[in-house]
Amino acid sequence: MISEEYPVAYCNTPSFVGSHITGYDAMIKGILSYLYTRSGIESKPGSGAESGEKLNVMLGFEPYTGNFAELRKILGAFDTKYTILGDHSGNYDSPATGEYEYYYGGTKLADVPQAANALATLSLQKYTLKKTQEYISVTWNQQLAALSTPLGIKGTDTLLDTISELTGLPIPAILTEERGRVVDALMDSHPYLHGKRVALVGDPDLLIGLIGFCLETGMEPVHIICSNGDVDFNEVKFKDEAESLLAASPYGTEATVHVGKDLWHMRSLLLNDKVDLAIGSSHLKFAAKDAEVPLVRVGFPIFDRHHMHRYPIIGYQGTLNLLSLIVNTILQQLDDHNSGFNFELVR
Amino acid sequence: MDPLRQDDFDSQACGSIAPKAKPCPRPKPGEAAGGCSFDGAQITLLPIMDAAHLVHGPIACAGNSWESRGALSSGPSLSQYGFATDLTDSDIIFGGEKKLKDSIDYIAGRFAPPAIFVYSTCVTALIGEDMDAVCKEAGDRIGIPVIPVNSPGFVGSKNLGNRLAGDALLQYVIGTGEPDPETALGVNLIGEYNIAGEMWDIEKLMNSAGIAVTSRITGDARYKEITWAHRARVNMVVCSRALLGLAKEMEARYGIPYFEGSFYGAKETTYSLRQMAYLMNDREMERRVDRLTEREEARLGQELRPYRKLLRGSGLYSIRGRQKLVRHLGPEGAGRSGRRRRDEQKHGG
Repeated sequence: MISEEYPVAYCNTPSFVGSHITGYDAMIKGILSYLYTRSGIESKPGSGAESGEKLNVMLGFEPYTGNFAELRKILGAFDTKYTILGDHSGNYDSPATGEYEYYYGGTKLADVPQAANALATLSLQKYTLKKTQEYISVTWNQQLAALSTPLGIKGTDTLLDTISELTGLPIPAILTEERGRVVDALMDSHPYLHGKRVALVGDPDLLIGLIGFCLETGMEPVHIICSNGDVDFNEVKFKDEAESLLAASPYGTEATVHVGKDLWHMRSLLLNDKVDLAIGSSHLKFAAKDAEVPLVRVGFPIFDRHHMHRYPIIGYQGTLNLLSLIVNTILQQLDDHNSGFNFELVR
Repeated sequence: MDPLRQDDFDSQACGSIAPKAKPCPRPKPGEAAGGCSFDGAQITLLPIMDAAHLVHGPIACAGNSWESRGALSSGPSLSQYGFATDLTDSDIIFGGEKKLKDSIDYIAGRFAPPAIFVYSTCVTALIGEDMDAVCKEAGDRIGIPVIPVNSPGFVGSKNLGNRLAGDALLQYVIGTGEPDPETALGVNLIGEYNIAGEMWDIEKLMNSAGIAVTSRITGDARYKEITWAHRARVNMVVCSRALLGLAKEMEARYGIPYFEGSFYGAKETTYSLRQMAYLMNDREMERRVDRLTEREEARLGQELRPYRKLLRGSGLYSIRGRQKLVRHLGPEGAGRSGRRRRDEQKHGG
């Protein structure tokens, strides 16, 4: 038997209510609200500056441990104190030292009620963390900034601007330099990306990020499938935002966003309306193979390639990683399917 | 009531009612779970390749167990379609029977399978869906057998699910059909699931001895074949842990003798083939089997000789059901792992 004082959080996550992102949201909200309530602390947003709580960051359902590392690098460059709610990256990326530990890194239980005193909370998956975001802005009465996964230059710019605004700190020069380098890389590669028709599959926040990335590099999203995009009971609608993003760019004119459809649907789309590239999880490989479309693996789950989660896809570094992944896939295609005279040494 | 003979409970006695193998032990806390009752029922029946298998419940039940068996098909693969009614929050609140009926109609209309198996899951069992009524009504209406499999996850272990699936076959399938007059009647393979195609090798062996397979329960099975399983002359129970009850019941109802055997290792294979021929009461077949097993054992002995020399005196660590095979090769001190082991066989090996 465990003692009465032992923390036991209750999280309501029945399988039939939604997808994995619904469950993550319910779980995080359950844990945060339980730890906050039992601590007896009354939240005083902004009072945390003395004790070190400045900013809370929630990454959401984030399978990329590299994204956690990138975020820590960015916040470190800003030189601000922060709490990640919750940091599961350590356990997914523990070093092999020969010794076995039970927990690696993570977020301390005691940090959670203190997080209510931070200046603000930044959420990086606004469609995933709907309930948690509401809890924080209402119960903690805290300032909340909710973004989608910050992919690409514009996405990262928005992230940095938001952090700067919330913390009052200027954007560090080192990040601006990094931005310049990545823009340079994009300039090198964009001829191979320009005009490529892509199919996208993922969770709502990832798709917003990917759509932004495609449009800014000149790739044309055509088929966009989000099986777990919200369709009802929510003010913030994924489909509307995706469609307005696409409408605002000349590269988005051919796109259709399918919400609530599955990969059978995507398979039909790929076979009937061909694209040059598919971006999605490992589950898409069967449809991609049948349609003879190369698959760039981004998102969750990636079961059939190694170590992809160790590299960030957010931030400027993440933009560079995505860019390399996509352009090198395209270049490999050129090498594999050339008519003989186009097998170049220099691309 | 007459007292039962003592030797009915003696597992060594011929024809005793005590099964030779004990049921799979319950997993202890911390052990990787072996799946639930629904999983057990599904993996038993899913290798019936040309039937449709519809899971009535939230998508996770079907989604997480899809294709977990690894049973291969030589032809139709309708059972690879992960049909599920994908119940959502509102279906749970208002009831999912209409969705079930519509799903059955859709499957019948699009695929025209010889049968549809409908599986209940924890959620549908708890909310009190009358699956049997929906299945019966649909079956009468569309003219295809719609078979309810009542094995929701919480009723027990995977092993219990296997047995419940066997019960469903007995209740709804076996005995409902008759074979074509030209069909050679032979042995039913019960509890052989054709994992990675291994049943095909066994059938080749049986064919060279002239032993026909009547029904496969359920490796690479066709629904029609199982309907006439009651016409076989012998039942071979390959996995005693699960479907022994099926064989016993078939003996009680149809008088078909059964034996427990396996194909792991030469001695076991020889024993199984011999038993088949013996129970079929066919002298000519027994002679053929003797010749075949002599030939094969000799050939195997030849091929294994270099390995025997190499492995003499070394220890070997084997997993799951392969101990008999390892002992045949000869290394001493063979270690063993894995739950769900079969009990020791008496016949050498």
